[in-house]
Amino acid sequence: MLPPTPQPTPQAPAGTARARRPRRLGAFNSNGRQSESLTSIAWKQFRQHPLARVALVVLGVLYACAAFADFLAPYPERYINTNNTFQPPSRIRFRDEEGRWVGPYVYAMKKTLDMQTFQTVWEVDTSQRYPIKFFVRREGIRDRYVPFPVNLIPVQLRQAWGIRPTATLHLFGVDDPTDRVKVHIWGTDDLGGDVFGKVLFGARISLTIGILASIVAIAIGMVMGGLAGFYGGWLDEVILRLVEAIDAIPSLFLLLTLSAVFYPLGLPSSVVFPLIVVVLSLIGWGGVARTIRAQVLSLKERDFAVAAKAAGASNWRIIRVHLLPQTLSYVIVVMSLAIPGFILTEAVLSFFGLGIQPPATSWGLMLNTAQSFVGVSGLADRWWIFIPGVFIFVSVLAWNLIGDGLRDAFDPRSRR
Amino acid sequence: MTVFIIRRLINLVPTFLLATFLAWFVIEIAPGDFASQFAFDQVDPGKAERIREVLGLNQPWPIRYLYWLRNVVLNLDFGTSMVSKGDVTSLIYPRMVNSFWLLLPSTILTFLIAIPIGVYSATRKYSIGDRFLTVFSLIGLAVPNFFLALLVLAFAVWFYQANGWFLIPTGGMTSSNYSSLTAWQQLLDRGWHLIAPLLIVTLSSLATTSRIMRGEMLEVLSQDYIRTAKAKGLSERVVTYKHAFRNAIVVIVATIGGVLPGLISGAGTVEFVMRWPGITPLFISSIFAQDVYVVMALLTVLTVFLMIGNLISDLALALVDPRIRY
Repeated sequence: MLPPTPQPTPQAPAGTARARRPRRLGAFNSNGRQSESLTSIAWKQFRQHPLARVALVVLGVLYACAAFADFLAPYPERYINTNNTFQPPSRIRFRDEEGRWVGPYVYAMKKTLDMQTFQTVWEVDTSQRYPIKFFVRREGIRDRYVPFPVNLIPVQLRQAWGIRPTATLHLFGVDDPTDRVKVHIWGTDDLGGDVFGKVLFGARISLTIGILASIVAIAIGMVMGGLAGFYGGWLDEVILRLVEAIDAIPSLFLLLTLSAVFYPLGLPSSVVFPLIVVVLSLIGWGGVARTIRAQVLSLKERDFAVAAKAAGASNWRIIRVHLLPQTLSYVIVVMSLAIPGFILTEAVLSFFGLGIQPPATSWGLMLNTAQSFVGVSGLADRWWIFIPGVFIFVSVLAWNLIGDGLRDAFDPRSRR
Repeated sequence: MTVFIIRRLINLVPTFLLATFLAWFVIEIAPGDFASQFAFDQVDPGKAERIREVLGLNQPWPIRYLYWLRNVVLNLDFGTSMVSKGDVTSLIYPRMVNSFWLLLPSTILTFLIAIPIGVYSATRKYSIGDRFLTVFSLIGLAVPNFFLALLVLAFAVWFYQANGWFLIPTGGMTSSNYSSLTAWQQLLDRGWHLIAPLLIVTLSSLATTSRIMRGEMLEVLSQDYIRTAKAKGLSERVVTYKHAFRNAIVVIVATIGGVLPGLISGAGTVEFVMRWPGITPLFISSIFAQDVYVVMALLTVLTVFLMIGNLISDLALALVDPRIRY
């Protein structure tokens, strides 16, 4: 098999070069038929990786949960109830006391103070059953939300265009005319917020921050590495020195210092989120820039790059069309392996209180409240506050598996 | 070789200057300073300004950087902490020692366990043992350290509530009655407090190092000279340990230098959760208080260690790998 390199035709006049440019990283073999492109081989290889396929499904479910969090969560993102802090998960029952099937229902939970130990004790009030209804509509002004594809539009634009939150449908809710009894299938946190709902809403931040940060980091790394490798000289020297200096500072501490820049400003979460993306990517671009630089250094001396130069292509065009696409497989693998790292780093930042700020939610921040409000003695009883950690674990594991799968898929030596 | 070392050492100077300048710049662009917390003092409205005057915070920041740099380079004087009003060096030194006593056993343990695991997994690729270790290391990579530490704390509390005595302590480095213990008991007490954070820190680094070792070993085992060695009738044992292992260990040797800054830069979140009085908790509290000199001192010392560590890595690599010549 021929090595999968694009073969630009140097003899072609400049006008037709654009039209003839191979769209994919494919090669023409000797009988003129286009052979399989690198990406399609890699995709076939990837699909044979059993763990990576499972991970893909798991991540798909997680991202869908994040997208439809408003619908899946019984209460809105900012719902709090300070009378109801650290309520244990409501147990969903299906049969009544005699064992007859009555459908899902919950009992109300009542908080009492144990007069001997002065600890809060939660008791189940079995006097009345509250059935759980599916596909309920909650019409309250706070219960309305903007459904999934529309809520990707920034809120300022939505307001300017007059898009108002209209959706009222929720997956489930408890049937209580007085609206005093709530269903918290994973309990409540330090402010009485629903942990289940907050995990779903937190997924929006925790799961997207890794993708965005790695995209920005790789973009910076590719531009810097491309410039350094292609132009060389003083530009190369400056960029390399900068990478070296950033590398010389231990990354956790640099990260915390950078986050401390905007922490005292008390910015709204819509500003903090992109700032954290920037901070994370500022830490991560150095390694990418180094590798891209090395690859560009060797690629620019290859025949096709020299030929493109001889044909009169501009520097920018050579970098963009001939050099950077060659680094694609490296970039895909690095990106999929960087995402779990960034998810973990965001969790650490938020856990230290230097990342996402309340009332916005992320999984790391939820564990921060676990650490700071529960107190050491409460950790054992209030196990449900650890649930966000399980989600961090699962999503990082899944992304790692996908990264491993992609690395094997793009590596010609590990073809099956 | 000597020329190479000298050139590398000279090269460290601009990197050091740029790194400290960047760090100082980042700290300075943060709004407010140490005196800001007194700005709304009702009793004494001029307090913030006076503090700025005394600490010299009203000077422009490049000038303060130069002053700081002069003191560090000429006198190794990292300044005075604004919070504790004590000498920064005497503030951070015990913290580094504490971090060191957590990280040194952890690092030794990591290498002692990870290298045999890597060799085992590579020589028995896709066996049940290898698959088990693969799953184990995947889990080790994906569990956030601080989450694991929280779980361990919860377990410690649960065990105490169930049985009435502590199997593992709930954080800290020593018990509250530490000073009244005899020397032997003090040593035992320290060891007892060390167990939980040590295991947590080791678990995550174990996963990484054993994966690297396995990958390198597999790489070497697929080389032609290994096949030749097997073909000429050498025993499996000799091939694995004399031919493959010696070449695969080169990469691990290259990470030896990275261990040096790791030894004092602390265990990050684990120290924070387990209340281990190491570097990270001090750094976090100094960041929140905007105690510039403590933050800078920690960053500077760690940066120097990191740079020297990288240099040692390169030298160690050249020492064990005859193919590398400078």
